[in-house]
Amino acid sequence: MSSSAAGTNILVFACRWCGLIGADAAGRRRTELPVSFRVIPVECAGYVEPDAVIRAFASGAAGVAVLGCHVGGCRFNDANHPALKRLELLRTLLDATGIGGDRLLLGFGTAHEYHQWADTIRAFHKHVAGLPSMASWLPAAAMTGER
Amino acid sequence: MAKIGVILCNCFGEIGDTVNLETIRERLASDPAVDVVTLRESLCQPGDAAAVHALIRERGIGKVLLGACSPYGRMEVVRLALAKEGVDVRTVRAADLREGCAWVHGKDPEGATRKAASQLGMEIALLQNMEDSRDIDIRIRREALVVGAGPAGLSAACGLARMGFPVHLVDRGTAPGGLLNIVTKSYPTDDPGPAKLNPLIEEMTRNPLIRFFGKTKVASVKGYAGDFKVALKGPEGSTTLRVGAVVLATGARLLFPQGLYGYGKTKNVITQMEMERQFAAGSVACKSAVFIQCAGARNAERPYCSTICCPLSLKNAMRIVEEVPGAEAWVLHRDIMTPGSVLEAYYRKALQRGVRFIRFDADRPPQVRGDGQVSGVEVFDVLSGVTRSIKTDLLVLSTPLVADPESAALTRMLEIPVDRHGFIAEVYPIHPVETRNDGVFICGTARWPVSSDQALAQGEAAAVKAASFLGRGTASALSMSRVPGPKLGHAQANADTCTGCGNCVAVCPYGACKLQRMGQRSVSRVIKVRCKACGSCAAVCPNGAMQIPEQNYRVTGAMIRRAFREVR
Amino acid sequence: MQNMKNQKKTVLIVGGGVAGVSAALDLAANGHRAHLVERGHDLGGQVAKLDKFYPTDHCAFCPLWTEIRRCKQDEAIAIHPLSRVETLEPQAAGHRAVVVESAPVVDPSLCIHCGRCEAACPKGVAKPIWEHAYPPVYVIDRGRCGDCRACAEVCPTKAIAFDREERRIALDVDEVIWAAGFEEVSLAPMKEYGWGTHPDILTSLEFEAWKAEAGDNRGKILRRSDRTVPLSILFVQCAGARDLRFLPHCSAVCCMHALKQAQWVKRRNPEIDCVILYTDLRTVGRDYYEYALRDFNGNGVRLVRGRSSLITPLPGGNGIAVKYEDTITGRREIRPFDMVVLNGNLQSSLASKPAPEVRPELSGEGFVTAASVSCGFVLEPADVTESAIQASSAALKAITDRN
Repeated sequence: MSSSAAGTNILVFACRWCGLIGADAAGRRRTELPVSFRVIPVECAGYVEPDAVIRAFASGAAGVAVLGCHVGGCRFNDANHPALKRLELLRTLLDATGIGGDRLLLGFGTAHEYHQWADTIRAFHKHVAGLPSMASWLPAAAMTGER
Repeated sequence: MAKIGVILCNCFGEIGDTVNLETIRERLASDPAVDVVTLRESLCQPGDAAAVHALIRERGIGKVLLGACSPYGRMEVVRLALAKEGVDVRTVRAADLREGCAWVHGKDPEGATRKAASQLGMEIALLQNMEDSRDIDIRIRREALVVGAGPAGLSAACGLARMGFPVHLVDRGTAPGGLLNIVTKSYPTDDPGPAKLNPLIEEMTRNPLIRFFGKTKVASVKGYAGDFKVALKGPEGSTTLRVGAVVLATGARLLFPQGLYGYGKTKNVITQMEMERQFAAGSVACKSAVFIQCAGARNAERPYCSTICCPLSLKNAMRIVEEVPGAEAWVLHRDIMTPGSVLEAYYRKALQRGVRFIRFDADRPPQVRGDGQVSGVEVFDVLSGVTRSIKTDLLVLSTPLVADPESAALTRMLEIPVDRHGFIAEVYPIHPVETRNDGVFICGTARWPVSSDQALAQGEAAAVKAASFLGRGTASALSMSRVPGPKLGHAQANADTCTGCGNCVAVCPYGACKLQRMGQRSVSRVIKVRCKACGSCAAVCPNGAMQIPEQNYRVTGAMIRRAFREVR
Repeated sequence: MQNMKNQKKTVLIVGGGVAGVSAALDLAANGHRAHLVERGHDLGGQVAKLDKFYPTDHCAFCPLWTEIRRCKQDEAIAIHPLSRVETLEPQAAGHRAVVVESAPVVDPSLCIHCGRCEAACPKGVAKPIWEHAYPPVYVIDRGRCGDCRACAEVCPTKAIAFDREERRIALDVDEVIWAAGFEEVSLAPMKEYGWGTHPDILTSLEFEAWKAEAGDNRGKILRRSDRTVPLSILFVQCAGARDLRFLPHCSAVCCMHALKQAQWVKRRNPEIDCVILYTDLRTVGRDYYEYALRDFNGNGVRLVRGRSSLITPLPGGNGIAVKYEDTITGRREIRPFDMVVLNGNLQSSLASKPAPEVRPELSGEGFVTAASVSCGFVLEPADVTESAIQASSAALKAITDRN
């Protein structure tokens, strides 16, 4: 596949509550979405650690989204709150290293209805598609998935 | 390594018309990780589950991957049907190829097919790397501790005993009753206050399953759901108990607002509690009683409504008008809080009986007049725009219930949170008597200011919830998930690599991670029954010692690497 | 009250909303059986259809959905959708109930939500069930159907059948719990509220559906008349309630409901002037008072203490005129508002007219008396938290024999 297609690979970590409900609703309504994203469901956004996000970038993702419930609405008693904080911290690291903190989307409680999910995915896809390729950051092997 | 079998669902074309299932089948057939690939028209229709089960048995499949639909729709139906067939559904994974793929990428069938292949590949990566959390069974001790014997606690204890569970009922006072002991007439029925509780107190005395400890406090509580070790301290010394559940009904206190409206300085400025005592002693004498609502409540310091003060004033104002010859009663308020049918009718009754109402604003509170002894109140009546001067010889302050400082210590022992006002927090509005700690329940004014009727109902609710837990006898840790179905797993710390940094202890929302001494080191240990598999501990562990076996870091890493293989 | 632990009870629960579902789960968790009779297509009642619920301001989906899933997976709970209680007769011990179960046109156990029936239907009567029902299925409105059977032809799972008979099921139950919830009472007879005279005068439940995130407008706040953004919305409290001419009771949930809606509008569209016209702002409940005080970035909801005497479309129909007395300033105002949302007209479902076939003894105001076991709004106007507490309390009463 051409590198331009690879240039919009988006990995979505979504909690199986607010994170994915919108996806289900969007699906039922046949809302057309770009094919660029893959989903890893997690119990809670609190599971997502900075290491996983970096690994995603290292494995060919051009953008990473972490979607969870509203802060205050997490069924694991606000386990999403520390996650939000540590991922915001990661964002500053991504900025500092030049990868760009705007490659990380944090959506907590913002994608739980069908049009919110659709708008989130489409907007992030468009944004990431407009960013320079990640190729300079990665050895060729990562781009062919041979790790 | 168990055989992985993939079953792709065409969903009558809903998947197959967009996603090229043949292409995917070919690809998977050549994937060394996959042993079996088949296509089916459907998975959720009658007979499908039996057919799938037969296939699993025939081909010796150990782990099943379904290429199917969204987990929120038909997949749960499929899982239930498979479970009924006897399939271990913890070894069944599903990739969403419908709502998450075919239905949202209808205009790009090639892209949808690539994505479907990726999502399936990611699930295969998960199945290859997932491990099993070791489950443990806990024995749930079939008895309960109820702390506090006011209306809520009595109600909870009697409820539990009626259902056949032994209850240890503890109160720091000599006798049960709590705050209701001082009420001579309760609203809205005008029954004598203690009359509400007498049947319960009688039941408590007669039911051998209830053991009452008067003048006793809880000195310590350790342990977790099913097995709490409790130390009580009473007039006869210490008692230790082991119980399966704890119900907190420790009540609240009334605010005595020193200095507010002259309280403590000016004579005949009293709180509702003193008013009740005067009624009990038959010594209420006044020409004109004024009740001031929200005295010390719904302000910056205590921004909450204490629920009972309006009906309480209506009751006592009506008593004044009816029982004290020639007396009048005024209620100065900011809103009259009598929601519902019964209380609203009570409000109308007070109006009909001649109680007078004046509404004031929070930023223009009433002014108390009197030298050493109250003589009058001046209040700006916002509804008429006129400042009224009311002569009064009895000023009653409706003050809020405030959290009992002693309950804070208990909540710390039980590791459950209190809100900023000191009231004990429930886990969610639809589970109002349950806390984030399994086996610990709350009811009554310790939870939030409520009337005695509401406290009685909450006690019953706590009893039913506690009973459903206690009645299980044993429970597996994986079953204690609070959602339908078992937990994903529970976290586990590798004792060899754990450095004892304590990050997990700090971040766990359930207090499930604890540091334990192991020789010279401290290592983290997970209390399996408390863990809900949110993954926070794994996320903050600096060296990967803490993992959830079913979604450990190898799983996540493999899924990430697999995600975009079809796009290169 | 004897030790009842060995006697397994079978309980009939009338109503499958928050209260009924909670009671059923408590009964099942304690080893008893429940028959949950629900008149709608699925469980969840009024709360499941709300866009958001207070005090969390999140959709009710998550917490209620979990409870509904539990109910459906529990073998001790028999769910009877599209059902009603036809007769209920006391026996020597307990009751014998006859439940009439209508069969839906679309069999929910077979429906795969593919939507081919909707595409084939010439009259648009095949539609998905409400947004957050689980699992989602299609429903066909028999009343508006033209009987062409095009849907049945295209359904891949043969889930559609028009000739399903209703079933009568006789149940011997030990106890009955009334949990039928609330419904709106039409405000048409109260002309001063103007309901029905203009599309922009609506009840709060109509407004909730209209502004729903998952609704037709995708969460946008628009006038119903011309789909433009309103400049002002007036929320009128106690509409029809606390009124001896109509509903004497206070519906308890409306003040918080109006605050929830008004504050949400302000968060989405800070420029819309939101006014709540109230008599007593009843914020009794955990954190409700602080909820009322919330002011987002200085864009607060305006609270005006007063009652309206007339709500009527402006001449020309562009807006609504409201005549009210602001009881604090003492001034009588006639002000135009782009939309008026009426709150208050809720009553127990058991008090509806015509009366349901079977109902327990009711108080003068239509609420279930202590002669029966009940929970939720039919017992007393109540929100989710209160209903859940009463439901558990009702379950205890049913388990341990109130006699």
